[in-house]
Amino acid sequence: MDERPISRILIWLASASFLFLLAPVLIVIPLSFSGDVFMSFPPSSWSLRWYASIGQHPKMIDAFFFSLKLAGAVTVVNLLIAVPAAYALVRLAPPGAATLMSVLTAPLLLPTIVLALAMLIVAARAGLLATPQGLFLAHLVVTLPYALRIISTALATVPIAVEEAAATLGATPLTVFRRVTLPLIIPGLVAAGALSFLVSFDEVVLSLFMSGPRLSTLPVEMYHHVESRADPLVAAISVLLVLFTLFIVIVVDRSLGLARTFVK
Amino acid sequence: MPAEDHVSPVTKHNADETAAPDRFLSLQALTKRYGDTAAVDAVDLDVRKGEFLAMLGPSGCGKTTTLRMIAGLVPTTAGQIVVDGRDLTNVPPYQRDMGLVFQSYALFPHMSVAANVAFGLEMRGMAKADIRARVAEALQLVRLTGYEDRRPGQLSGGQQQRVALARALVIRPLILLLDEPLSNLDAKLREEMRNEIRDIQRRLGTTALFVTHDQDEALTMADRVVVMNKGRIEQTGTPEDLYERPRTAFVAAFVGRTNRFPGTGAGEVVHVGGVTMRCARPVSGPVEVMIRPHRIHLDGSGERRADDNHASGTIIRTTYAGNVVQYDVQAGDTVFNVEQSTDATGALVSVGTAVTLSWSVANTLVFEAAP
Ligand SMILES: Nc1ncnc2c1ncn2[C@@H]1O[C@H](COP(=O)(O)OP(=O)(O)OP(=O)(O)O)[C@@H](O)[C@H]1O
Ligand SMILES: [Mg+2]
Repeated sequence: MDERPISRILIWLASASFLFLLAPVLIVIPLSFSGDVFMSFPPSSWSLRWYASIGQHPKMIDAFFFSLKLAGAVTVVNLLIAVPAAYALVRLAPPGAATLMSVLTAPLLLPTIVLALAMLIVAARAGLLATPQGLFLAHLVVTLPYALRIISTALATVPIAVEEAAATLGATPLTVFRRVTLPLIIPGLVAAGALSFLVSFDEVVLSLFMSGPRLSTLPVEMYHHVESRADPLVAAISVLLVLFTLFIVIVVDRSLGLARTFVK
Repeated sequence: MPAEDHVSPVTKHNADETAAPDRFLSLQALTKRYGDTAAVDAVDLDVRKGEFLAMLGPSGCGKTTTLRMIAGLVPTTAGQIVVDGRDLTNVPPYQRDMGLVFQSYALFPHMSVAANVAFGLEMRGMAKADIRARVAEALQLVRLTGYEDRRPGQLSGGQQQRVALARALVIRPLILLLDEPLSNLDAKLREEMRNEIRDIQRRLGTTALFVTHDQDEALTMADRVVVMNKGRIEQTGTPEDLYERPRTAFVAAFVGRTNRFPGTGAGEVVHVGGVTMRCARPVSGPVEVMIRPHRIHLDGSGERRADDNHASGTIIRTTYAGNVVQYDVQAGDTVFNVEQSTDATGALVSVGTAVTLSWSVANTLVFEAAP
C-alpha cells in the first residue's frame, strides 16, 4: 500500500521484533505434541499423549476451574467498584480527585513482588493465606487500577453536554447514567472487564505468595509442576491457555466492534 | 447590591407574577460568582410570554452562565429565577421543563433521531403511541421526516441542529433556551436556520431566549435584545432601540459599526481633534462621540439640513465592497470612516480628493468618556 522505504523498514522491524517476542511461545506448540517423556526441542517423536494426560491431573483441572471462578468474580466485583469510583472521580471531581486517582492506580507502578510481600504479611495476620477470599482480595488490588483507568478514560470522553441535555429533558441523575452515560461507556466496560479477567487469570507472583498446598491457581500449579517434573504436560496446557486467551480477545474485539458501530 | 435585600416569600411572588403577563420569566438580581469574580452580576430581566429575546455580548460576559442558571445546570450564587409565577431557583434541571439547545447539539450518539426526540416524552411517562405521534409532528416541524432511523453521526451539522431543536421543542418547554445554536454552521446555513428557528418559534408561540455574540443574529431575529457586558446588562430594548438609541458607549460600539472619537464637550458642541460638531444634548468634559459610517454624507449626497454638522477633509483610502464603498476621510486630526451605498452610474471618489462631510445632529451620539 505505502511504498515509502521508511515504512517498509518499519514493517520489517515490527515483524522481526514480533517474531522475537513470539518465538518462545511458538516453540511451545510443537513441544505440546511431543511423544517424549521430557521436554526437549525438537521432540524426537510426536503424539497427543500430553493432551490426553491432562485428564489424569485433577489438581490441574481443579486449579483451572478455581482460576476461572476467581477471575470471573474479580472481574464482576472490579467493575462494580470501578464504575461508581470512576464516575465519582471524573464527574463529581471532588477536591483531590487527581491525587486519589494516582493513589488508586499506584499498584500499577509498584513492583509486583513488593506488593506480593506486603499482601502476604497482611493476609497472614488476617488468616486469609491460602483462602479464596485472600486470593480474591489480592487479585482485586492488582486489577482495580486497570479498570479504573480504562473506565475513567471512557467516561471522560462522554461529553458532559450530552448528560446535561438528558437532565433538561427530564431525566433524573440515575436515569441519565442508565440511559446515556452507561451505553456510551460500554466499550470501556468490555475492555476493562476483559483486562481484569486476563490479568487475574494470568497472575503468578501474587498467587504464588497467597496460595497453599490445598488451594492454588492454574499458573501456580503449572509452575509447581515444572519445578518437580520436566515433562511436556505444561506445554499442552499452555497451548490450550493461548487458545482460551485468544478466544476471549476475539470475543472482546467483536463486541467492542459491535459497540462502536452501535455508538456511531 | 446584595441580593439578600431582595428576598421575599415565594407565595408573595406567586400573586405578583401571574398577574403580570409581561413577566413570564423574571430574573431577579441573578448572580453567579466563581471565586471572587462575578460571571453574572445582579441581573434583573423580565421576559414576556411568547417573546423572542436575544442575549448579546462579547465572549465571557456571562451569557451562557445566565442561560445555564435558568436551565438549572449551574447553581445560582444569589437571586431568583421565577417562571410563570413559580420560583424555580432551587428546582433541579429535570423538573424545570426547559428546552435547551446546545452549541454542540449534544445529541445522544447511541440513539436514533426518533429516539433522541422521544427521550423527553419518555421521561414524562407518555404512552408509546402518543410519543410516536408527537415525534413525527416534531420532526415534520424541523423538516426531518424520513430521518427517524438515522443516527446523529449520519447527519449533517444543520440536520443535527434541527434534531436538537425538535428534541427541545417536543416537550413543549416553558422556555426554549438556545446557546449559540448556529455558530457551528456555515454562513449560508446559518441564515437559513435563523429564519427557520424564528418561524417555528412564532408558530408555536414559545418563549425563547437566544444567546449569541453575533449582532446580526440578535438584531434580525429578536423581538428584544439584551446587551450584556462583564456580567451585567448594559441595555435592554428592541433592535431599533439599541441601534438608534444606545444608552452607553459600549452598546453603541458593540451593536453595529461606528466611528468612535474621543472629544471634549463644551455645552452644545463637542471638539473632536480639530473638528467641532453639535450634539443632541449638552455635555461637558471628556466624552466619546460616535457616528455611524453610513449616516455620514459625502459632498452633498443625501438630503441636507441647515443645522447638519460639517467637516472638510481629504480621502486617504477607498475600499470597494460591492454594495458599499468605504472611504477614510482625514479631517483635521480625525479620520472619519464613511460608507456610501454604490450605484451602477456612480463613480468612486479617488484618494486625494477634497470632500465635505455632513451628518445630522441626531446621528451625533455622545457618551461620557469611560474613566
Ligand atoms: N466553571 C467555571 N469556573 C470558573 N469560571 C467560570 C466557569 N464558567 C464560566 N466562568 C467564567 O464566567 C465568565 C462568563 O462565562 P460564560 O461562559 O457565561 O460567558 P459567555 O458570555 O457565554 O461567553 P462566550 O461568548 O465565549 O460563550 C467567564 O469569565 C468565564 O471565565
Ligand atoms: Mg457561551
